[in-house]
Amino acid sequence: MHDGMMLEIKGLSVGYRQPKGEVPALRDVSFAVPRSGTCALIGPSGCGKSTLLYVLSGLLKDFGGQVIVDGAPVTSLRRQTALILQDYGLLPWKKVYDNVALGLEIRGVAKDEQRERIRRVLTEVGLWEMHDRYPSQLSGGQRQRTGIARALAMQPDLLLMDEPFSSLDALTREHLQGLLLDIWNSKRITVVLVTHSIEEAIFLGQKIVVLSGHPGQVIDVVENPRVGQKGYRKTTEYHILTSQLRDKLEQVGTVLNLPG
Amino acid sequence: MRERMYVNTFWASVSIVLLLVAWHLLAVLLDKEALPGPVSSFTAFFRELPGELWGHFWISSYRVAASLLISLVLAVPCGMIMGREEKVDRLAAPMIYVIYPVPKIVFLPVLMALLGLGDVSKIALITLVVFFQILVPIRDASRSINPAVVNSIRSLGAGRWHLYKHVVWPAVLPEMLTALRIASGTAIAILFISETISSQEGLGYFLLDAWSRYSYHDMFAGIIALSLLGFVIYMALDGLERYLCPWKYV
Repeated sequence: MHDGMMLEIKGLSVGYRQPKGEVPALRDVSFAVPRSGTCALIGPSGCGKSTLLYVLSGLLKDFGGQVIVDGAPVTSLRRQTALILQDYGLLPWKKVYDNVALGLEIRGVAKDEQRERIRRVLTEVGLWEMHDRYPSQLSGGQRQRTGIARALAMQPDLLLMDEPFSSLDALTREHLQGLLLDIWNSKRITVVLVTHSIEEAIFLGQKIVVLSGHPGQVIDVVENPRVGQKGYRKTTEYHILTSQLRDKLEQVGTVLNLPG
Repeated sequence: MRERMYVNTFWASVSIVLLLVAWHLLAVLLDKEALPGPVSSFTAFFRELPGELWGHFWISSYRVAASLLISLVLAVPCGMIMGREEKVDRLAAPMIYVIYPVPKIVFLPVLMALLGLGDVSKIALITLVVFFQILVPIRDASRSINPAVVNSIRSLGAGRWHLYKHVVWPAVLPEMLTALRIASGTAIAILFISETISSQEGLGYFLLDAWSRYSYHDMFAGIIALSLLGFVIYMALDGLERYLCPWKYV
C-alpha cells in the first residue's frame, strides 16, 4: 500500500454522443484526492458532476485522459469502490436486509458472513430494527442510510456519492452528514461526493473542487483541512469560507440552490 | 388485515347481488324467452353441472390455463430481453408490430389444418393471441426501468444475469399480472370462438349446441360457467400477485 493519492485525475474529458454530434460534458478536468481524504465536487446542474462519478466508479469507460484509483488506471468496476446514486438505487421489491445483501450476494459472499456483515452495517447506521421493511415503508433519511449500509457492506476504500442528502429535510440532512463524518472518521474511507450545496461542500469536503457548467471544467480547488473537527459549522472560518465559495460560484455565473 | 378481508368479501357479495337483481329486473321487463332470469338460469346451471356441463367446463378451463401458462413462459423472457437488449429489439420489434394488429383468429383454419381439431389447435390459437398481449407490455416495462437503478446495481458488480434476476424480473412482475388479467378476458373470447367451430367439447360447443336447440336456460347455464371461469382466473391472479409482489401490499 502506498500512502499517497487515492484518486488522481489528469486531463479528463468526457463527451456525450448525441444525434447532432458530440456534446462535451467534462473538459480537461484534473485534481487529486489523498488516501482517506474527502472531496466535494460542487457546481451548477449540468456541469457533469454525476458523469465524473460514473467515470470514477468504472461504469463509464468512454473517456479521454487518465483516471487512477489506488495506483491503477480505472478500466472497469473496482471491487473496493462503492457508488451511491441520488435516489439511493434501492430495489422496492427487496426488504432493507436484502437490499443491503445484494452486493454481497452478487459477489458470492457466504451466507454466514453476509448475515454478520449486514447486521454490523445496519447497526452502524442505526437501522437494524428496520431490516424487515420494504423501502416504501422508510423515510427518505432511512432510505439513504440503507444506501450507505449497502455501500459499507462491500467494505469499500473509496465511497462515491451523488448528491446524497439533497432530497432530505434540513434536520435529517445534518444528522446524516454527521453520520457520514463518523463513518469516515472510524473507517478512513476516501469519500468523493457531489453536491450543489455550498454548506455541505464545506462541512464534508477537505478538498472542494469547483466546477463550471457546459462543459464542466475545474475553476478552483479549495483546501478545507478543518473538516471533521467538532463544531466546525459554528466557527468563523466556516462562515468565511462559505461566503468565499459563494463568491467563486457567482463569478462563474451560476445560480445555486439555497445552502443547506 | 382479517377485518379488511371481511369488508372486501361483504362488498363483493353486495356487488354480485346487485348484478343478479339487475339481471332479474331486465328479464322480467323484457319478458322474452331469449333472456331467462337468474333463477331459471341457475336452476339449469346446477341441473347440468353434474352431467355434461362439468366436463365442458373442465376442458375449457384446461385449455385457457394451458394457453396462459405457455404464453407466459414464452412471452415474459422474450419481452424482458427485447426491452433490455437493443440489438435483439431492433430485429424483433418490426416483426412484432406487423403481426400484433392481425386478428389471430384468422389463423384458426391454418392451425386446424396443421394441428388437428382437438386441444392443440385451440391452445395454439389462444397462445398466439395472449403471447402478444403479454409480450408488448413486458417489453415496455423492461425498457422503462430507471437507468439509475440499473447503474446502482451494476456498480455493485452485477452482470447481465444478476440484472435480470434482481432488477428486470421483479420490475416486470406487476406488469405481467396486469397483462394477464387483460389477456384472460381475450383468452376466453378466443376460446369460445375456437370451440364453436368444428368442435364437440368445451363451453363454446355447449353454448352453441344449447342455442341451436333453442334451450336458452342451458345457454345461460353455459354463460354462467364462462363467467365463473373468468372469475376463477381473476381470483387466482389476485392471489398470485399477493404471493409474487408482497412489496405492493405493505
